[in-house]
Amino acid sequence: MLKDVTFGQYYPGNSLLHRTDPRIKMLILIEYLVLVLVAKSELAALISLAFTAFLIAVSGVRLRVLIKSVKPLIFVLAFTAIINLFFTVGEGEPLIEWSFITVYSSGVRNAVMMLLRLLSLVLGTSVLISFTTSPLELTDAIEALLSPLKKIKVPVHEFAMMMSIALRFIPTLIEETNKIISAQKARCADFESGKLLERIKALIPILIPLFVSAVRRAEELADAMECRCYNGGEGRTKLKAMKSRPTDYVFLFAATVVTVAVFLANRLQFSEILTLCKAIF
Amino acid sequence: MSFIEARGVEFAYSPDEEKVINNIDLKIEKGSYVAILGHNGCGKSTLAKLLCGILVPTEGQILIDGADTADEEKSFEIRKKCGMVFQNPDNQLVASVVEEDVAFAPENLGLPREEIRRRVDKALETVDMTEYAKHATYKLSGGQKQRIAIAGMLAMSPECIVFDEATAMLDPTGRKEIVAAMKKLNSEIGITVVTITHYMNEAVEADRIIVMNRGEIIADGTPKEIFSEVERLQSVSLAVPQVTELMYLLEQDGHALPRGVLHAMEAADVLEAFIKEAKNG
Repeated sequence: MLKDVTFGQYYPGNSLLHRTDPRIKMLILIEYLVLVLVAKSELAALISLAFTAFLIAVSGVRLRVLIKSVKPLIFVLAFTAIINLFFTVGEGEPLIEWSFITVYSSGVRNAVMMLLRLLSLVLGTSVLISFTTSPLELTDAIEALLSPLKKIKVPVHEFAMMMSIALRFIPTLIEETNKIISAQKARCADFESGKLLERIKALIPILIPLFVSAVRRAEELADAMECRCYNGGEGRTKLKAMKSRPTDYVFLFAATVVTVAVFLANRLQFSEILTLCKAIF
Repeated sequence: MSFIEARGVEFAYSPDEEKVINNIDLKIEKGSYVAILGHNGCGKSTLAKLLCGILVPTEGQILIDGADTADEEKSFEIRKKCGMVFQNPDNQLVASVVEEDVAFAPENLGLPREEIRRRVDKALETVDMTEYAKHATYKLSGGQKQRIAIAGMLAMSPECIVFDEATAMLDPTGRKEIVAAMKKLNSEIGITVVTITHYMNEAVEADRIIVMNRGEIIADGTPKEIFSEVERLQSVSLAVPQVTELMYLLEQDGHALPRGVLHAMEAADVLEAFIKEAKNG
């Protein structure tokens, strides 16, 4: 039932993205999200696609893994594309008009843009963060980036600690859920048939033991952490230091340039670019 | 003065509940290897938590190296001196990667990076897990996880480690690994080991056994002394090691055999001598 969870799956490696400072990667991620969501004109979309392709290329993540990560989203992607295709009301003559279905050329454009945008979002964030950053690096980076908030008494360290523990316990809790499911099946519980409401009800005997055991685990973990002198973030040191190298800043700068380029490209119409090119040559 | 000293200790989880620990006086010397035996619910896990300061006695006091566990100001010092390994290996691992988990305690102590590195490497070497330093914790076997938990304690360099049924959830191989590790810690590094268990074969390895029943200490002595009193152990529903029981049954049958034989080889020697004597006589 819970076999193919790829969430937050880290693929150890030594690519450019693996070696990039996780703090820089977080900043690049923010820029990346902005540029993908902002890209509206064709040129801007092309730039954002090219940047996504670049990220995938330097991540060293294998194509098979990428395809696997997109697979569970096929339904969502198809659904978005179809909605955009049929429900965009554009100007001028529709391309197809057949009984209640009308497709405008702007609908096709919207569908393609949306599809590409979603695909870029999923692949780009995956290669930038989840596939190439270990959970601990990620939480360390978040802690470092949010540390100015400590000044206004935001519990940044506690937040980062909670996140890293949550990530640490995902596989443990998945294993536990599978065990409980097996145990309930052995007692003739039926999770696969019945109406939707019945199926939801059938989940209760899984969730209750899972919650009870999670609370118990939490108590024991708290004891174990205290036993190891955990006293909050104050005065803590780290085994691994985050070091940013000059190449990291080059990378960040490049991402910033691309983002600015996308903003500029949005302003230009394709025809204007053509005239611009003609003027130059 | 003894390393751990309990004076008239009583404990109840809440004022209106029955006492779990009843008037216990106990001294544990530095560098000793003590096993605490008792059947389920006799208060031995509670005693373990009291002995390393996770719980504070409701009556009486516990001194660890002269510091009262009730004294909040000294709790950090006590934690540093006295560590604990818990029963469930999953619930005491904090990080997703082996070496990051082992580094947790020294990080909390605020040690410099090189010192953390040195301690982590040393601790992993002691428990024979050096090659797993970069592995994910959830993929390890139970015995390996428990060895990582021990390494995590060692990295804190405590003077005493309390094992709270640390072998109860392991398979026989894992159990052997942990008992071997305990012996090594005690004999090679000189750490005081207190192990709570209901496996007789593990208790045999200790220098001293304390037997508990209903929150009280009912026997205290060397393994030989304790296991000589087979009837007394059986009266509190504890079994003796198989070899010891065999010798006891033979003695009950009217053969003049010594009591308190703990190991199979020892028993074989005794029986060989006995049979030879019977032939000659």
